[in-house]
Amino acid sequence: MPTSLQFATATIMGLPFLAILILNLVNRKTGNQLALGVGIIVAVIQMISAIICAGLLWANQKDFIDFSIFWNMTDSAFAGRLSIDFFSIVVLFCIGMVSFISFLTAKQTVGDKKLNFTNLLMVIMLGMNGIAVVTDLFSLYVFLEITGIASFVLIALFKDPEGLEGAFKYLIMSAIASAFLLISMACIFMNVGSLVYSDVAAAMLNWQAADQPLFLMAAFIFFIAGICIKAGVAPFHGWLPDAYQSAPAPVSVLLGGIVTKVAGVYAIIRITSDVFSGVATINMILMILGTISIVFGAVATLSQKDFKRILAYSSISQIGYIVLGISTGSPIGFLGAVLHFFNHATFKTTLFVNSASLEKQVGTRDINEMGGLEGKMPLTNVSTILAFLSTSGIPPLAGFWSKLLIIIAVWQAGAHFVAGTAVFASVFTLAYFLFVMRHVFYGPLKEGLEDVKETKGSLALATVLLSIVTVGFGVLFPFVLRFLQAQGML
Amino acid sequence: MTQVIFVILLLLMVIAAVAAVMVRNLIKSAICLAAVSVFLTIILFLLGAPLAGLFELSVCAGLITVVFVSAISLTTPYKKEEASELAKKRLARFIQLPFILALVAIVFGVMLAFSGMNIGIPYATPSTFSTFKEVFWNMRQADILGQIIIVLAGVFAVVVLFKERDEK
Repeated sequence: MPTSLQFATATIMGLPFLAILILNLVNRKTGNQLALGVGIIVAVIQMISAIICAGLLWANQKDFIDFSIFWNMTDSAFAGRLSIDFFSIVVLFCIGMVSFISFLTAKQTVGDKKLNFTNLLMVIMLGMNGIAVVTDLFSLYVFLEITGIASFVLIALFKDPEGLEGAFKYLIMSAIASAFLLISMACIFMNVGSLVYSDVAAAMLNWQAADQPLFLMAAFIFFIAGICIKAGVAPFHGWLPDAYQSAPAPVSVLLGGIVTKVAGVYAIIRITSDVFSGVATINMILMILGTISIVFGAVATLSQKDFKRILAYSSISQIGYIVLGISTGSPIGFLGAVLHFFNHATFKTTLFVNSASLEKQVGTRDINEMGGLEGKMPLTNVSTILAFLSTSGIPPLAGFWSKLLIIIAVWQAGAHFVAGTAVFASVFTLAYFLFVMRHVFYGPLKEGLEDVKETKGSLALATVLLSIVTVGFGVLFPFVLRFLQAQGML
Repeated sequence: MTQVIFVILLLLMVIAAVAAVMVRNLIKSAICLAAVSVFLTIILFLLGAPLAGLFELSVCAGLITVVFVSAISLTTPYKKEEASELAKKRLARFIQLPFILALVAIVFGVMLAFSGMNIGIPYATPSTFSTFKEVFWNMRQADILGQIIIVLAGVFAVVVLFKERDEK
């Protein structure tokens, strides 16, 4: 095991722990002052670790690397394997990036709750990192719960009635999802005797020949239902808009940017490709769910007036695209889904940061009470329009490429109607976003908004960094595609 | 010989369970409940199900106890006079308990004796991963870490949601 790998894996599972220890061992006042700085360092190191892991994969020409947390146990036959592959690396990087932005946002918005916020965010990071590297269904469940518990508390961080309501809804839906997942795992364990991904996948391959195929089928249905609740895919989305809207600004950034995507979408992708790959109907089910999500999210955005709620419904729609990409089962679709995962993390985080800026500077999130802010907040204006265009898939921004790949994959899979729907929904999204832009930033300046100033400091920095990623990744993407083709990944 | 061990373990389990209900101090009650899980774990291990035993031990004896204890720490205990009054009522309520237990034991004994059901302890074929050490430290390594983090998350949740309310 090379030292660089040891460093990278140790930071992934250990560094947030260390940060929690340090921050809580010093006295409370110092802890409060240090908290966000320590958090930012942890997030940056996590991004570096992800890049190191990518380099190691590439240098060794491997598809995945196995590692262990406490000690090297390659000799042990029953070692609980942890594994990093291309997709986990993208996810780990996104976790680092969004956490970094969330800390920057928190600097101006959480007041004296810095220590509590950082503690819980570190727990969420540990939970999500765990989800990204485990190879066992039960461990996956454990880390899903960690992420969930910390999220409920973060949503209710300020203990305002709205936040408590959002957290409670999330808690109830999440508990139902957990129950589904546990039932599913019990069924699988009864039949297979193991919960390791590869063992379950082998059993699923010939599930018709199994002793009790009914139990495996039930397990499959429960698992998909449970994980779709966590992801907020359309028919299961009830909790999502309330949770996003009522959460404090940095928590919305975190939830919208990464938490629901890792806890839901990543888990869906992982179990579809590694566990239930033998089930023929899975692609059909995911395609239907994805299409419903896309259309529902786009249509439901129409009647919303709250900036964050608009973003929440648009998230449902974008998650639909990711699910649609996986449902094709082809390498192009998978790549499109992974890229859209990354892109969505970037542009949705930008938008949530901008909603925080607007709320802080203007004092409201109602789009009807805003107007003509173009000249007052030029930076927010430009970054918002970039993120909106990227969301609706306008070239050459990053969102265009991932949506293009997904739609090509769907077309190749023969689902022409679905591909058409996806394109149409994208145009629909663009139309509505332009409408929002006109309401918030253009037109005559609304009364009482004369003194509004541009946001400063950490919020502005976060917006600028994310916009650079959106534009840069979009412009450089053809080279990335070439590189991936040369590596034989397409 | 093994039969005797099982009977002893089952008895200990029942005693711990009864104690969990009877004990006046809530913390002691939670610990007794954990003890029930510990005895059950030993039984599961002897029956050749280390994985089930492990989950029983770490989740029921470990995690749930932590949750109970942190919840109890948020409550205010009764004053002495209130407690002594409650103790009398408690005695009246639980005086039937030994009789009920004895009755249940007799009914089950009679049922088993006459129905011809076999409760001979089934020895499952020993699993390939039969040692506790192997299962706990190697196979379930990620879960141990996960449980530590869950406890941390629970502690932070209590701190954020409940602690500051007291200060006001």
